[in-house]
Amino acid sequence: MDFFDVLLQQIINGVSLGAMYALLALGFTMVYGIIELINFAHFNVFMVGSFVGLWVFQAMGFSGQEQVLYGLPLIGILLVGLTVTMLATGFLGVAIERIALRPLRGVSGTAPMITTIGVSYILFNMVLLTIGANTLNYANPLPKVSWDIGQATLRLREVLLWAVSLVLMLGLHYFVRHTKMGKAMQATAQDQEAARMMGVDVDRVVVLAFFLGSALAGAAGMIFGLYYNYTSFIIGYTAGLRAFTAAVLGGIGNIPGAMLGGVLIGLIESLGGQYLEVRWTDVIIFSILVLVLVFRPTGLFGRAAPSKS
Amino acid sequence: MSTSPLEQARRGVLPAFWDRVRSEEWRRGVALVLVLAACAFPLIDHNEGDLDAAANATAFATLALGLNIVVGFAGLLDLGYAAFFAIGAYTYGIFSSYQIQPEWSSFWEPFQWLGFVSRLHVDGVPIDHAHFQVSFWLMLPVSALVAAFFGIAFGAPTLRLKGDYLAIVTLGFGEIVPIVARNTPYLTNGAQGLNGALPPHLFGYNFGVQSTPFYYLGVALVVFLIFVSVRLKDSRIGRAWLAIREDEIAAEAMGVNRTKLKLLAFAVGAGFAGMTGTFYVAKLQTATPEMFTFPVSVMLLVMIVLGGMGSVAGVVVGALLLQLLQSWFLQDISEWIHWLGRTTGIGFLEKVDLVQAIELIFGIILVVMMLYRRQGLIPERRAVTALTLAQQTAVPSRSGLKGELKPLHRKAVDPKLPLLEIRGLAKAFGGIQAVKSLDLTVMPGSIVAVIGPNGSGKTTFFNLVTGLTRPDGGKVTLAGEDITGLGPHIVVEKGIARTFQNLRLFPNMTLMENVLVGTHTRTGTGALGAVIRPPSVRHEEAAARERVLEVLTIFGNRLMPRREHLARTLSYANRRRLEIARAVITEPMLLLLDEPTAGMNPTETLELSDQIRGLRDRGITILLIEHKLNVVNEIADKVIVLDHGEKIAEGSPEEVHRNEEVLRAYLGRTATAAVRAAAAS
Repeated sequence: MDFFDVLLQQIINGVSLGAMYALLALGFTMVYGIIELINFAHFNVFMVGSFVGLWVFQAMGFSGQEQVLYGLPLIGILLVGLTVTMLATGFLGVAIERIALRPLRGVSGTAPMITTIGVSYILFNMVLLTIGANTLNYANPLPKVSWDIGQATLRLREVLLWAVSLVLMLGLHYFVRHTKMGKAMQATAQDQEAARMMGVDVDRVVVLAFFLGSALAGAAGMIFGLYYNYTSFIIGYTAGLRAFTAAVLGGIGNIPGAMLGGVLIGLIESLGGQYLEVRWTDVIIFSILVLVLVFRPTGLFGRAAPSKS
Repeated sequence: MSTSPLEQARRGVLPAFWDRVRSEEWRRGVALVLVLAACAFPLIDHNEGDLDAAANATAFATLALGLNIVVGFAGLLDLGYAAFFAIGAYTYGIFSSYQIQPEWSSFWEPFQWLGFVSRLHVDGVPIDHAHFQVSFWLMLPVSALVAAFFGIAFGAPTLRLKGDYLAIVTLGFGEIVPIVARNTPYLTNGAQGLNGALPPHLFGYNFGVQSTPFYYLGVALVVFLIFVSVRLKDSRIGRAWLAIREDEIAAEAMGVNRTKLKLLAFAVGAGFAGMTGTFYVAKLQTATPEMFTFPVSVMLLVMIVLGGMGSVAGVVVGALLLQLLQSWFLQDISEWIHWLGRTTGIGFLEKVDLVQAIELIFGIILVVMMLYRRQGLIPERRAVTALTLAQQTAVPSRSGLKGELKPLHRKAVDPKLPLLEIRGLAKAFGGIQAVKSLDLTVMPGSIVAVIGPNGSGKTTFFNLVTGLTRPDGGKVTLAGEDITGLGPHIVVEKGIARTFQNLRLFPNMTLMENVLVGTHTRTGTGALGAVIRPPSVRHEEAAARERVLEVLTIFGNRLMPRREHLARTLSYANRRRLEIARAVITEPMLLLLDEPTAGMNPTETLELSDQIRGLRDRGITILLIEHKLNVVNEIADKVIVLDHGEKIAEGSPEEVHRNEEVLRAYLGRTATAAVRAAAAS
C-alpha cells in the first residue's frame, strides 16, 4: 500500500468512527443547549444501546456473523433493530430525566452533574453485574461485501453506517428546523424564560431532547456493535469522552457543529493512530479538547455561545 | 449559642445534642476525644488486616479533605482528582526506588552528602550507579508542591471556563495521567508499576510493612489537614471560595479575583492529594497506573457527597464510612443475605455478592443523596435558631447614622473635581446599540439618579462602569484615574462598588460572611496566613468583623439581629439592604445602586431614601438607577435620562420633568402632545 492508499483507508475508517461520534455528540449538544447540563449518563446510554441492539438481533434469531442477509430482508432487519434500539434507549433517557434530573431542575451548582455521574455509574454497573465483564460477539447480518479503491477497502458496513448516520442526522436537522416542537426546542435553548412565556411547555421540550439524544445514542451503540463485531460494558467511557470533545469542537449547543466535530474527531483518531502512536490517541484528543476550550470556547463552527451566567 | 430547655424539647433531643456537640465550647473537647479514640484504636484491635484497612482509610480521608477544598469550598467539580494523587505518588516513588539509576559521577557527590542518593556498586559491573533515596519526610512537602504546581499548570488555562466545562476537562486530565504513566516506562516502569519505594524512617525506626506506624502517620495527616481546612474555611480566603461557589459574578463584583482564587483552591487541593500520594506509595511500596484511574476519583466524590460537600467533619465521616463499608460491612451483609438465602431456600439470595456491587452502590449513593439530601449527612451549615417573636416585631429603628460616625470611604476626594467622568462610552450587543457615545459627569458628594424606560441601557451602563462588560469604546475616569476596561475586582479596589438589580447575594452564607466578602480587597490575608493565624491576621479579622457590625448599624435593627442567619432566609427588602451593606464595606468612593427600592413598600422606600442620603453624608457619592420617581425627586441632586442608550436629558429633577424629550420617551408622541395641549389651555 502506498501513502495515498493508506491515507484513503484511514479516511474511510475515520469518517466511519466520526459518524458514530457525531450521533453521540448530538445528544450531548441538545441537552446542553437546552438545560446547560453535561449529561454523563449519556456515555452509558450509548453502551446500553449497543446491548439492546444485540438482544434485538438475537431475539430475531441471529447470532455471530455467520448468517448474512441481502437486499430487502437485510434492510428490514436493520430497520427493526434500529427502531427497537432507539425506542428503548430513548425511553431510558426519558426515564433518567424524569426520575433523576427533573427534581433538580433549577438547582444551581454541581448537583445535577453529579447526579448524571451517579446514573452513569448505575447503568455501567448494572450491565457489568448482570452480563459480566466479558466482551460479547455481536450478531451481525451484514454480508461481507467490499469494494477495492486502489489498495484501500471500502466495506458495505461502512457505506451502510454512513447512510444510517446521515439519514438520522438529516432527520434531526429537519425536525429541529421545520417542526413546531423543533422550533420550541430552539426557542427554549435561546431563552427558557421567554419560551415559557410564549407558551412553550419547557418540560416537554427537555423530555424530547432527552428522548432524541438517547435514541441517537442507542443507534450509535448498535452501529458500534455492527462496525466492530463486539460489544462490552466498557465501551461507553472512551466513546463518550470523544463524542463530548466532538460536541465542544463543533460548538456546544450547535447541531450541525456536532456532526462536523464528530467526523473531525473520527479522522483525528484514525489518522493519529496511523501516523502517530495509538497509545497516545487519547492524549491527543484530550489536548484538542483543552485547546479548543481555551482558545475558542464557542467551538470551530460555533456562533457566539449564549451566555446565561 | 445557648438554647432554652423548652427550645431543645421542641427541636428534638438528638438535634439539640448535635447543636451542643458542634457548639464552640464543645468542639475542641469533642475533637480531642475523637483523636484520642483514633489513637487508642491499634491498642484495642490487634488484627493486622483491620489496621491496614484503617491506615488506608486515613489516606482516603485526606484525599476527600483535599477534594472538598476544590468541590465543596470553591464549587469546582473536579472529576480527575486522582491524577494529583498519582503525581504525588510517582514523585515520591521515582525518587525513592531503583527505577532511575543514572551513572555515578562527581555531580552526585553533594547529593550523596545530603543523603539524597547513594552510590550503588555491583560486583562485576564496571560503572557505579546513583540510587535515589530521598527521605520520605522531605518528599512529603515536596510532592505536595509538585502536585500543586501541576494543579496550577493545568488549571491556569482551564479555570477561566465555566464550571461544567471544567468537569469534563478534569475528567480528561484524570484519564491522561494514568495513560502517561503507562506509556513512559522509563520513569514509571509502565503497567507493571514502580517497585521498592522506600518506607519512611523516623529516628532510626523503619516503618517497613507494618500497618500500625502508617496508621498513626495517617491519623496525624488527617488531623493536620482537618486543621488546615477549618482554618482556611473560616478566613478571608475560605469566604472568597464560598462566594465563588455561591455566585461567581457577585464574588468578582465584590473584589474577589476569581481566577486567582480558583487556582489557589486547585493548588491547595492538589497539594493535599500529592502529600497523600507520597504516604500511600510509602505504605504500599509500589505504584501502578491502575491505582489512580477514574473510579478512584468517583469514589472520592461519593465520599464528599455522602458526608456533605463543604463540611469538613462531613467529608471525613463520609470517607471513613465508605472505607468501612468496603472493607467490613459489605462482606458481613453479604454473608447475612447468604444465610437468609440458605434458611429460606431462595437460591438467588445465596449468590448476592455486595462487594462486587460496590460501584453500583456508589452510583446509588450519588443519585439518592442529590435527590433527597444534597447537604450530606453532616451539613456544612446548621440551622440557626429563629428570631424570637419579640425580636421579629421590634419596631424597626431608623438608621442611627448622622455625622458622628467615621467616614465610610477610603480616600479623600477633591470636592472640586469630578469624581466620575465618562466620555463617549459605547457598547453594542449584536445589532443593538445598548449604550451610544455617552458623556456623563458625577461630582463628589452628590446623588445622581439615572432614569429611563426599560431597555434604555441603564444596567448595561452600570456593567460598563464596573467592568462586568467591556466597552466597545469611550473612557471611564474615576477621580482622575483611567479605569476603562479593568476587571470588576480591580474596579472595586479602585473605589466603585455596586448592587444588582436582580440581587446577587451568596445565599448559603451568613449575613456576616456575605458582608465580610466585601472586605476582601481591603484586607490581605493569604492562604498561609489564614492557616497559621499570626497576630496580624487575627487583628485584621477582628477589625473586619468590627467594621461589619458598624456597617450593619446603617440599617438599624433590620439586619443586626439576623447576622448569623443564612442570606437565603432573608426577606426581599432585607436582601436589598444586605447587598447595600456588602457594597458599602468595600469602602467605595462611588456607590452604584441598581433599583435599590424595588420590591419595597412605601414605608421601607422612605426609610431607604433616608439611609441613602445618610451614606452620602458620610462621604460616599451615589449613582442610582431608580424607577420610583418620588424617590428620585426627593434625594437626587441631578437626574440623567437615558433612552435607547443615549442621554436625552440632564439636570435637576424639576428641569428634567419639564423636558419634552423625556415626556416623549416615557409617554410617546401623542401623549406628549396631549400634555402640551393640557398645559396650554
